[in-house]
Amino acid sequence: MASLTFDDRPVPIAPNQDVLSALLAAGVDAPHSCRAGICQTCLSRAEGEIPAEAQRGLSKAQKEQGYFLPCVCVPKGPLKVLRAGPSLEATEVGVCAIDRLAPTVVRLRLEPCAPFAYRPGQFLSLETPDGCVRSYSIASLPEAEAFLELHVRLLPNGRMGGFIAERLSVGDRLAVRGPFGACYYDEADRDRPLVLVGAGTGLAPLWGILRDALSRGHRGPIRLYHGARERSGLYLSEELAALARERERFSYIPCVLGSLGAADGDVEKAVLEGEPQPDAASYFLCGGGDLVNRVKRALFLRGAQLARLRADVFLPAS
Amino acid sequence: MSTLYERLGGAPAVDAAVDIFYRKVLADDRINGFFDSVDMEKQAAKQKAFLTMVFGGPNAYTGKDMREGHRRLVARGLGDVHVDAVIELLGATLKELGVRDEDIAEVAALANSTRDDVLDR
Repeated sequence: MASLTFDDRPVPIAPNQDVLSALLAAGVDAPHSCRAGICQTCLSRAEGEIPAEAQRGLSKAQKEQGYFLPCVCVPKGPLKVLRAGPSLEATEVGVCAIDRLAPTVVRLRLEPCAPFAYRPGQFLSLETPDGCVRSYSIASLPEAEAFLELHVRLLPNGRMGGFIAERLSVGDRLAVRGPFGACYYDEADRDRPLVLVGAGTGLAPLWGILRDALSRGHRGPIRLYHGARERSGLYLSEELAALARERERFSYIPCVLGSLGAADGDVEKAVLEGEPQPDAASYFLCGGGDLVNRVKRALFLRGAQLARLRADVFLPAS
Repeated sequence: MSTLYERLGGAPAVDAAVDIFYRKVLADDRINGFFDSVDMEKQAAKQKAFLTMVFGGPNAYTGKDMREGHRRLVARGLGDVHVDAVIELLGATLKELGVRDEDIAEVAALANSTRDDVLDR
């Protein structure tokens, strides 16, 4: 008896119905094109018994990892379709530093026990021994730093934050999976203005992307806007200010919500006033969904190109 | 004798049009309420498929998908005035890209041919 789940939710499927049409009927926005098992646009992963015809044309490694083509897959038994993205083996990491950067921000530095290739700005999932899993952007620069750097926001009653603050010590072992996402520097943007906008720990990917861009010889101006609710939330501000003094083409614009003084105002306003010609630049927007989506839309309406508006929305743990 | 799609410039023309068109849609108070809660990349991908179709390009258009995709919006009040607005913005986009009036009329006719599917009639 065929049955189907997507991302752990049950999806109705009729006898002899293919997986793609069942997903689409259930409102899943599954990419697809040929509907004939040829173009591989719908390539997905699943756990369960996958019929051989749904893996025709795939590599041995893909077949072993459960990749298949939903458009030509008529399941005979239960099939669990997984959300897209690489589900990689966990990599063990050793904790090499735990530092408080702000009252509610901790910097974790983790040394991978096996090679872990990534680009700064991508994210990984961090797993504690008791099974708490959270996603964090990677702030380190692989060419210069042997550790993976993450900035963890401490939330009241947050599980990961509580674990780090109360139980984690240097030398402990954790597991990471990834990397995920496409929020990283693209050398095709080398001559464009690069505008980095982050709120809170949205600075983590930007700190990685900024240093990646500089080390890859970015030639256009770079402007980094960092927003925080309190002045104390403007972590790494000394490092960023020093970098701005050192590099003529880099500007650091700190913004504290509702404050008076040098870093006055909210980050959205600062960006929209500070970027009078949005169409020329390439953007990275990182932080909470409300702010990121608002700024993205506003920049697009002012002429920024959608393909150059890269955004990474930090979702609260459910 | 070239086809409409060839005259408009094919896939690169669609790419050039999609940001301009989508920006006009989001800026237009008559219709942007229908686009508020939508993921921008997904929405742009859908608009690209729509533009390819109304440019006379290769497409897998089905009235059924169009009906199902818009049924929720029809329930929220999507009607002829909104389809008119979209066709108007499509024309303005093409005008901005320097497309001839005859070709704009052809695109508008193709767009108009989806009206009953979009409005689920």
